[in-house]
Amino acid sequence: MKSATNEDTNQISMVLSKNNMKICLAASAGGHLTELLKLADSWQQYEVFYVSTANMVAKKLKQYGQTYVVGECNREHLLRVILVLVRCIRVILHERPNVVISTGAAVGCIMCFLGKLLGAKVVWVDSIANVRWVSLSGRMVRHIADLFLVQWPEIAEQYSNVEYVGAVI
Amino acid sequence: MIFLTVGTQFPFDRFVQAVDNIFDQGLIDEEIFAQIGETSYKPHNFESVASLEKRDFDERVKKASSVISHAGVGTITVALKNNKPLLVMPRMKRYKEHVNDHQVATAKKFQELGHILAAYDVKDLPDGIRKLKNFIPRKRKASPVAITERIRCFLNSLQD
Repeated sequence: MKSATNEDTNQISMVLSKNNMKICLAASAGGHLTELLKLADSWQQYEVFYVSTANMVAKKLKQYGQTYVVGECNREHLLRVILVLVRCIRVILHERPNVVISTGAAVGCIMCFLGKLLGAKVVWVDSIANVRWVSLSGRMVRHIADLFLVQWPEIAEQYSNVEYVGAVI
Repeated sequence: MIFLTVGTQFPFDRFVQAVDNIFDQGLIDEEIFAQIGETSYKPHNFESVASLEKRDFDERVKKASSVISHAGVGTITVALKNNKPLLVMPRMKRYKEHVNDHQVATAKKFQELGHILAAYDVKDLPDGIRKLKNFIPRKRKASPVAITERIRCFLNSLQD
């Protein structure tokens, strides 16, 4: 009897650890986020938190999980990039996700690299906006991604370790 | 009502101003409501706001007869979903409207597939707006299921 109970407990703890994975969902406000939210079925069973760039999307995201707004940045403005980077470092150290999933752009790229440094797996879905080449952020993340998806078949043919399985819209 | 939007990231004054001018010329016979970003240029022919919450944005698209916008995927997605005629003008790097010219390629691709109309320059806008009235967007058959399945499968594999 006693050993059976122990077995049960072991099974319960195994189930718990299966669902223990924490996922960071990172995307800039606008199209990138629209695309990311279309993939919501992928992570339904896991604990998630969001990282985005503008307050105007925070209200919506908070319905789904913990949300961090780190501000907008792109490579044209280095100071902004540093400020956003510092905020992202704080978020990642606080949350310590097991997986980072992103559709871009700059902020998604930053979260992927920071996540990787802490041992997280990285999933990148390059935006459907990129019809000829992988985005600049995507080209950087490709080297560290554990799963890299593009949304046009002709792009997948140009790169190694890049998959096309379909498009979000 | 036509819904004009420039998306969330940067203003797009070249576009907003052009539509305002076309209105001046009497080529638009419908009301416009516009979301134009934080910008110094204020259109005088139609009501505008800097930004909209996502829910309000979706609602504006739903209520609009047609949409004119930058060639951003957010807007293209919502317009296609609601089966709205959409005319886009891509942002250009040379006018410092975006970090690169990917919007031109996006516009071309979706235009070729019959999903949207595109104007690549201010001078093409009046013609685009004229065509927009009778434009029936081709429906897109893509669905995110294949991608969500792939990601789900990947996440499962991490736990074995």
